[in-house]
Amino acid sequence: MRERVLVAMSGGVDSSVAAALLVRQGYDVVGATMRLGCHTDGEGDLPDRPCCSLDSVNDARRICEQLGVPHYVLNLESAFSRDVVRDFVDEYARGRTPIPCVRCNTFTKFRDLVRRADAIEAQWIATGHYARLDGGELRRGLDPNKDQSYFLWGIDRRVLSRMLLPVGGQTKAETRVVAHELGLELIAEKAESQDICFVPDGDHAKVIARHLGADAPSLSRGPFMRPDGTVVGEHDGFARFTVGQRRGLPGGFREPMFVVEIRPESRAVVIGPRSELLGRGVIAREVNWLVDAPAAGSDVEIQVRHRARPARGTLLRVSADEVEIALDEPVAAITPGQSLVMYDGERVLGGGVIERASSRVLPVRAA
Amino acid sequence: MPEPIYLDHAATTPVRPEVLEAMQPFFGPRFGNPSSLHRWGREARAALDEARERLATTLGAHPDELCFTSCGTEADNMALLGVWRSRREHDGRNAAVATPIEHKAVLGALHEVAHEGGEERLLRIHASGVVDDASFDTLVDDSAAVCSVMWVNNEIGVMQDVPALARRAHERGVTFHTDAVQAFGKVEINAKATPFDLLSISGHKIGAPKGIGALFIRRGTPVSPLMFGGSQDRGRRPGTENVAMAVGLARAAELTVAERVEECRRLAALRERLEAALLQSIPDAVIHGRGAPRAPHVTSISVPGTDSESLLMALDLRGVACSAGSACQSGSITPSHVLTALGVPADLASAAIRMSLGSLTTDDGIARVAELFPALVEKARRLATA
Repeated sequence: MRERVLVAMSGGVDSSVAAALLVRQGYDVVGATMRLGCHTDGEGDLPDRPCCSLDSVNDARRICEQLGVPHYVLNLESAFSRDVVRDFVDEYARGRTPIPCVRCNTFTKFRDLVRRADAIEAQWIATGHYARLDGGELRRGLDPNKDQSYFLWGIDRRVLSRMLLPVGGQTKAETRVVAHELGLELIAEKAESQDICFVPDGDHAKVIARHLGADAPSLSRGPFMRPDGTVVGEHDGFARFTVGQRRGLPGGFREPMFVVEIRPESRAVVIGPRSELLGRGVIAREVNWLVDAPAAGSDVEIQVRHRARPARGTLLRVSADEVEIALDEPVAAITPGQSLVMYDGERVLGGGVIERASSRVLPVRAA
Repeated sequence: MPEPIYLDHAATTPVRPEVLEAMQPFFGPRFGNPSSLHRWGREARAALDEARERLATTLGAHPDELCFTSCGTEADNMALLGVWRSRREHDGRNAAVATPIEHKAVLGALHEVAHEGGEERLLRIHASGVVDDASFDTLVDDSAAVCSVMWVNNEIGVMQDVPALARRAHERGVTFHTDAVQAFGKVEINAKATPFDLLSISGHKIGAPKGIGALFIRRGTPVSPLMFGGSQDRGRRPGTENVAMAVGLARAAELTVAERVEECRRLAALRERLEAALLQSIPDAVIHGRGAPRAPHVTSISVPGTDSESLLMALDLRGVACSAGSACQSGSITPSHVLTALGVPADLASAAIRMSLGSLTTDDGIARVAELFPALVEKARRLATA
């Protein structure tokens, strides 16, 4: 009997090609589009979103019809709202900068959707992510410009052996070529969705306001200050800022200024020159390992931003829920709420949510 | 895979061969516009008139009391909005009343009443699914223009006492509408015997195609049109009539009514067998509305510890077609407003599976579902506790 795979389909080119490739490889493909509450069925104040809008659902359905496989729409709204949207809002309220896509992968796609796969006796689960699997380990996507492994560190390690990432071994350009080859003209040239699916027009403050009220502390006026407490201006809500940001800061300084810290308890946005943005180490929590946890003292490569160049460092501390890494060279804009992802070359070792930059002195590295 | 099993007749039914045959000439040589004065027009007009007469006969109505619509939703909208707009203008009655378990076609129209400045009132429903008499007497008062109560509920099959409710509405001078989309062919409908003022039916639930419905409008009932244009159907429903589909609807209605008693007996026996088997294998399953009078073709079952979305997928992949609550346009499932109105707890409501029997239902199919469903349920529950 053919092996069944549940493919998460957004109606975009990557997941559509993923499904088509799996059909070609002989799998018993079942397509599913998750309804996450970011589209509106023509009601409410949110415009139709590119990711799970009605149009996207229709595109995914049309692709499945073309491939001759069943398609379902799965309502994961309440779980998504609890696990992803709520956390997003709370993190901003704490002066941090969350990545909801990470939590969506961890909790929605590779946990809740896996349960749906179980319910239909699908051994496999597939997505259109640009990352690869090899011997039960997760690796970077082949296309360095598209590599999405940064967003996948949080998934349950046991799920890796059930995952298929059919486009991870090709470039985006190749994916589009394959889409044309397979006759998927409907979506072959579809634009990439850049926004977070539930954040219309990239205006995250609007989402926070809807959940916490427009007068929430994180959206209310507060001071711009220097690290020593000198007030240098006023802003209209710290949730509108992220570490490393230059836009919207007061002028009149000799050097370009950046957000270097957010202090939610005093609503302060702390600014400073580039030198104050550099961190020598990083502490992350909610750690998840995709391999056996390496021992303290191990060398790792890390990324603190999507598409940042990997930096080298040393694991100082590894506990059940927390890691601390000392960096060989300082790294700019280590931002609480973003992800710390640890690599060994192409292999993804694991990751965590950045708690803060740390200032512990580097151990002397053997030559 | 074994022969697929269609258990979703409340969603739609296949077009009957007799109906298709009756419609055929109107897609060919008898293509005329019934408003034209020439021979082609006359032929089409004759067919349309005859269809209206035949459909009227099945309902105990006069032909002029029938208005063909494009679907059940249009008929419901025309009844609610048409009566409310007319009566508000002429005798100042500003409220419209319905049950919370109506089809969205009625609830949507009711909400539009509120949007246009009227008052929207919802009756209370007992846990059994039956309308609460006290709330009916309170809300259906002399400020109400129209009251709408569906005869047979599409999700749980519960029947309302339409004759009694229609009479009580009339005592307060309130126009009474019933959505009989699911009732047609399942209960005896006779406009001479039952004093409803308006009644909606839909073609595709009874073996006619999608895209045709009808509204019975008792003589003298005030109804404003929804559309404006030509004088078709006395100006009640402008637009060139869909002759072929009207002919199809009349034929389907005749066949359905002729077979009603026999078919209902057959479906009731099959459903009883199905429910008994399911309750035996799944003792904690809940069958919604089972304590109330029900039409024989619907069963709505919730199994604690399961969710309808997963079960429906698993059933579909085994070739069994059922449905859950109301599906929205994107196809995803939202908790049923009907079960919610009955006070069914959310976890149980989100587990509901509706199986609806009809012309395609066989003894063998029921036996297979009675075996497969408990097996899938057991698996789902195992996963839920894993």
